[in-house]
Amino acid sequence: MANDKLQKKKLYAISSENRQFSFTLPFKHKIRIGKRDYEVKLKADEKLGTYILWKNRKYPVEIIRSRQNKYELLFNDISYTFTVETPFSLQRKKVLNSQKGKATSEYIKAPMPGKIIDVLVREGAVVQRGEPVVILEAMKMQNEILSPVSGTVVKISAKPNTNVMKDDLLVEIKP
Amino acid sequence: MKIKRILIANRGEIAIRIMKTARLMKIETVAVKTAVEPNAMYLSSADIIFDNTEDTSEIPVFLDIEKLIAIALKTGANAVHPGYGFLAENAYFAQKCIDNNIIFIGPSPDAIYKMGNKTIARNLALQNGIPMAMGSQGNIANDEEAVAIAEKIGYPVIIKAASGGGGRGMRIVRKKDEMEKMFTIASKEAEKSFNDPSVFIEKYIENPKHIEFQILGDTKGNVIHLGERECSIQRKHQKLLEEAPSGALDAKLRKKMGSMAIQIAKAVNYYSAGTVEFLLDSDKNFYFMEMNTRIQVEHPVTEVITGIDLIEQQIRIANGEALKYKQEDIRLTGWAIECRINAEDVQSGFAPDPGKIESLSMPTDPCVRVDTGVQRGSSIVASYDSMIAKLIVKGKDRKDCLKNTKMALDKVWIKGTKTTLPFFRMLVRHPKFQNGSFTTAFIEKDLEKYYFNAEYEEMLAAWLAVKLFVEENLNDDSISIDYKHGKEMNPWLLNKRISQF
Repeated sequence: MANDKLQKKKLYAISSENRQFSFTLPFKHKIRIGKRDYEVKLKADEKLGTYILWKNRKYPVEIIRSRQNKYELLFNDISYTFTVETPFSLQRKKVLNSQKGKATSEYIKAPMPGKIIDVLVREGAVVQRGEPVVILEAMKMQNEILSPVSGTVVKISAKPNTNVMKDDLLVEIKP
Repeated sequence: MKIKRILIANRGEIAIRIMKTARLMKIETVAVKTAVEPNAMYLSSADIIFDNTEDTSEIPVFLDIEKLIAIALKTGANAVHPGYGFLAENAYFAQKCIDNNIIFIGPSPDAIYKMGNKTIARNLALQNGIPMAMGSQGNIANDEEAVAIAEKIGYPVIIKAASGGGGRGMRIVRKKDEMEKMFTIASKEAEKSFNDPSVFIEKYIENPKHIEFQILGDTKGNVIHLGERECSIQRKHQKLLEEAPSGALDAKLRKKMGSMAIQIAKAVNYYSAGTVEFLLDSDKNFYFMEMNTRIQVEHPVTEVITGIDLIEQQIRIANGEALKYKQEDIRLTGWAIECRINAEDVQSGFAPDPGKIESLSMPTDPCVRVDTGVQRGSSIVASYDSMIAKLIVKGKDRKDCLKNTKMALDKVWIKGTKTTLPFFRMLVRHPKFQNGSFTTAFIEKDLEKYYFNAEYEEMLAAWLAVKLFVEENLNDDSISIDYKHGKEMNPWLLNKRISQF
C-alpha cells in the first residue's frame, strides 16, 4: 500500500511538440499556477458557443476531433493536439519508442481541399524542416505545404493536377 | 447632386462601406444578389436589390461588364462604384459606363490604362523625374554589359530572368567580382527553368519599407495628398496590417514624397482617389513602384487620421465638384492601425480556411472601427477572398495605438473558422514591430513563430483535453479506463504489477 501512496493518480496531456502537462486525479476544475489554484470552467451558451472561463475572461474553444486518446482542439483561435496518457500508458509508450527508435514517419496531409499544382520533392530527397514540399491551390491562392520535420522523403502520394480532399496523404517523410 | 442612384459593383465589406456613405449623402444604392451568397450581409444595406441568383455562370457577375451595365440601366442607377478588386482597375469597364451615360466613380479610363501598363507608368515616372529602381533597358547580352550597367546604377543589383518568376534565375550581385559567376548561374538557371536564358538587371533595394501615398484629385486639375500609409507587414505581397502615418517618415520626407506622388498623378490628369506606392530603403531613398487607381482596402487608416471620408470624396469628385480641401488643410492627427482579420490558418502557412461563422463579436470601444461584411451565420466562401473583418484602431500616437490594438485584439471573438488573430496578437508583442524597424522582409526573415499564445493558454487547452478524456473514459469512483476497443483495465493496478517485476 505504501507503493500506492507514492504513485499519485495522474493523467498526462502530451502536446504534439512533446510538452507534458500533468493533472492529478480526481480531476479538478482548477489549475495551479505557482502557489495558487485558479478556477476553470467549461461553458456554453447560445450566442458564444462553447468557451472556457478563466480569470474572468472567456476563451473560445472547439473540439475538432477526438480519436481514442488523441484530442484535437481549438483554443483561442489556435489548434492543439494532445494525447492523454495514464502513467502506465505513458511508460509503455516510452518503452515502445525506445525500441523503435525515433524513426516513425511524419505524414503530411492536405490541410484543406484543393488542387495539387506542383510536387517540389522526389522520393529519396532530403528535406529540411520548413521546406516547401507541395503547392496546393485552394481559394484561388497557391499555398506552400511545408515539411514539419527534417528528413528523407519515403513516399509521395500527391500528383500534380489532381484534386485532393482535406486530410488526404500528400507526402511521407522519415525524420 | 447629379448622382441619384449608385450600383455597387462589388460585395462584402466594401459594398457596405460605400452604401453607408451613400446613405449619409441621401443617394440610393443598388446591390446585386448572387447565387453564391444569396443571404450575404451587404444586401441588407442596399435600397434596391437586383436578384441575379438565376445566373449560374462560372464568372462572378462582378467581373461581367455587359451584365453590370445592363443591371445599372435596368435599375435606373446613374452611377457605378466598383469598390476594389474585380473591375475597379479595368479601363474598358470605366469607358463602357461613360458610353452608357453612367457615371463611373473612379478615375478616367485613360488614367486607369496608363497606370495599369508597367512600361507606360515607368516611362511617365522617368519623364517626371520620379526616383525609380534603375535597370537595364531590356535584356543584357553578357556579364561585361551587366558590369557596365551595375557601375552606373550602383551595387547591389539583381539579375532577373526575362521569362522568370518564383525566384528562379534570380541572383543578387553585391560587387563587381561576383558578376561573371552570378551572370552565368542566373542565365543557365533561366534556360533550364524557362527555356530562355535572357536576363536583365535592376537595382536591388534591400529590406525596403512599403510606403504609399493617398491621393485625391478633382476634374478641375487640383490634386492633393492625404499623407502616407505604411504597409510593410505583408506576406507574399499580400498586406496583412497597415498603419498611418509611418514612423519612418518625418515632415520633410513626407513633403518630398507627397509632392512626387502628386506629380505622377498629375501626369495622367488623375482625378478621384488613388494611391502611389513607393519602396523606401534604409537610407531613406525612395523609389516609385506603381499607382493604384482605386479605393484601397486600407483606406480607413487614412480616414481616421485625416477625418476625411474618402468614399464621399470619390462620389463628389465623380459628381463634378471641386475639392474643398487644399493641401494646407490636411492635418494628420493621431495614429491608426488596421488588422486584416482573414479566415486563414496561420499554423498552416496562412492557408485559407473557409467556413461558416458560428459566432462573432467585435469590440465596441470608441477607439475601434470595424468594417466587415459578415455576421453570425455568414459563410466565408471559397469563391471570394478570405476577409472576415478589418479591425481599425486609433490612438493618440503609435504607442497608444499599439496598446489599444492589443486590447481590441483580445476582444474579437470569432468561431467557425480559423483566423489571422493569433498572428496579430504576436505582431503587437514583437519588439521589431513595436520599435518600427520592420521591413517587407519581416515575416519571411524575422519571425520564428507566426502566432502568439500565452503559456497558460496551452495549459488550459491541455486541461480541456484531459477533461474530455476523463468524461469519456473514467467514471468517478472507480478509475478503470475503457480503451474503446473493449479492454477494461485499471492502469494504476497494472502499473504496480509492472513495477513489481
